[in-house]
Amino acid sequence: MENAAYIGLSRQMTLRRELDIVANNIANADTNGFKVEQLLLGSELGPRARNDFVRPSVSFVLDKGVGRDFGQAGLEQTGRSLDFGIEGEGAFFQLNDGVGEAYTRDGAFTLDPEGRLTTQAGHAVQGDGGDIILDRTLGEPAVAPDGTISQNGNLVGRLSVVRFDTLAVLEKGGDGLYRNASNAAPQEAMDARVRQGMLEGSNVNPIIEITNLIEIQRAYESVTKMIENANDLSRRSVERLGRVS
Amino acid sequence: MRALRTAASGMAAQQLNVEVISNNIANMNTVGFKRQRAEFQDLLYQNVERMGAQSSAQGTVVPTGIQIGAGVKAGSVYRITEQGTPQQTGGRFDMAVDGRGYFQILLPSGETAFTRAGNFALNGEGQLVTDDGYAVQPNISIPQDAVDVSISKSGQVQVITAGQTEPAIVGQLELATFFNEAGLEAVGDNLLMETAASGAANVGTPGDAGFGQILHGYTEASNVDAVAEISALIIAQRAYEMNSKVITTADQMLSVSAQVKS
Repeated sequence: MENAAYIGLSRQMTLRRELDIVANNIANADTNGFKVEQLLLGSELGPRARNDFVRPSVSFVLDKGVGRDFGQAGLEQTGRSLDFGIEGEGAFFQLNDGVGEAYTRDGAFTLDPEGRLTTQAGHAVQGDGGDIILDRTLGEPAVAPDGTISQNGNLVGRLSVVRFDTLAVLEKGGDGLYRNASNAAPQEAMDARVRQGMLEGSNVNPIIEITNLIEIQRAYESVTKMIENANDLSRRSVERLGRVS
Repeated sequence: MRALRTAASGMAAQQLNVEVISNNIANMNTVGFKRQRAEFQDLLYQNVERMGAQSSAQGTVVPTGIQIGAGVKAGSVYRITEQGTPQQTGGRFDMAVDGRGYFQILLPSGETAFTRAGNFALNGEGQLVTDDGYAVQPNISIPQDAVDVSISKSGQVQVITAGQTEPAIVGQLELATFFNEAGLEAVGDNLLMETAASGAANVGTPGDAGFGQILHGYTEASNVDAVAEISALIIAQRAYEMNSKVITTADQMLSVSAQVKS
């Protein structure tokens, strides 16, 4: 009898979660290297709220996972020699954050007092042979599209740009970092290009997100209306059937 | 509702962005000013359903999982130390650095500060000082009877005194460079201080390898690009509005739920 209310509740809960994800997308509409996310929904056959062998069982809404769109975002020119953008979907800079390996698309790097190339949070950027150390007496570094770093004509190293066969193994770690949640090994991304003096923006499309926001709100309102109607129905039947005439 | 707090973090981030942009625009005509840029990062993620978790006793695993982010935070606000355009001023003691390097300034506290603003002047003793009267290091004194002063690209200060035809060398300017210029701490008055992040100052002669040259009679304009700042301001405003839209939506959804039982 309460099936309608339970189905409605399952939709309400997923809608709230969808709103949380849309809110996070919009909050990160200006975050370098951010990749947009959406909730993947499915139906789940559930037991009915009462025992009935004739009618088919009911379907609840269930969130199955979060899908990430790893599509390329626009590269913005910053004119800073330590800003790098990756052109090539699903490729990442490799970092060492002291705990283990991490991956990022946010290439706003800097140097630590020893001249090591790091992220703004201080995680060492990895090259072919570990950390990349620049020599300050040689002037501004120049980075070729394949990641080769040279200073004044001297080869310093090569930025390691990698890709996973399945992007689903990556877990977001916050701070623009991704972590490998499996034991899959990354491969060198041969087709990806490193662009110096550019930063990749966020691939959040504001129009789509605002449209999602409206859809979520209206869906929530109609589901709530449905719960209200179901509630109303049972209230009236209790009132009428219980009346002794 | 998490969405409310997530959107609030987005609004706070955009507010910081507008603050940084407005400081850049306000300092558009400040000598030697370097524009700043706010960089954002996503906040921590909550694993509602962990990827790779076992979804049955048969060993099947959740392929994607559900991770919900908690919004955005300011990663860092860093200075972009791109060269500003040298502007000809004709000032006798105006200097611009073309390339890397900072002038060294002795503060009254005895500490050394660093600056790109080379609009210097003389004090009562003929010493080369900043606008605020802080001495440029190493000390350079111009004799009172100097008719003309010339500063070479390598920082050599020469004067021609009255009645003389040969210029006399009275001092040599030095520049300081840093590994991580963005790590210098701005203390106002166009001055920067050395920090652990910037590394120690490396002092050398202008024009040497790794050091810039001195342009006498010029000052370095700020590297703020008005067009870029205004478009950044528009983007920040729209992003702020979108986040407020999320708050409105979340609020209306809550109110719908609250009105069910009337």
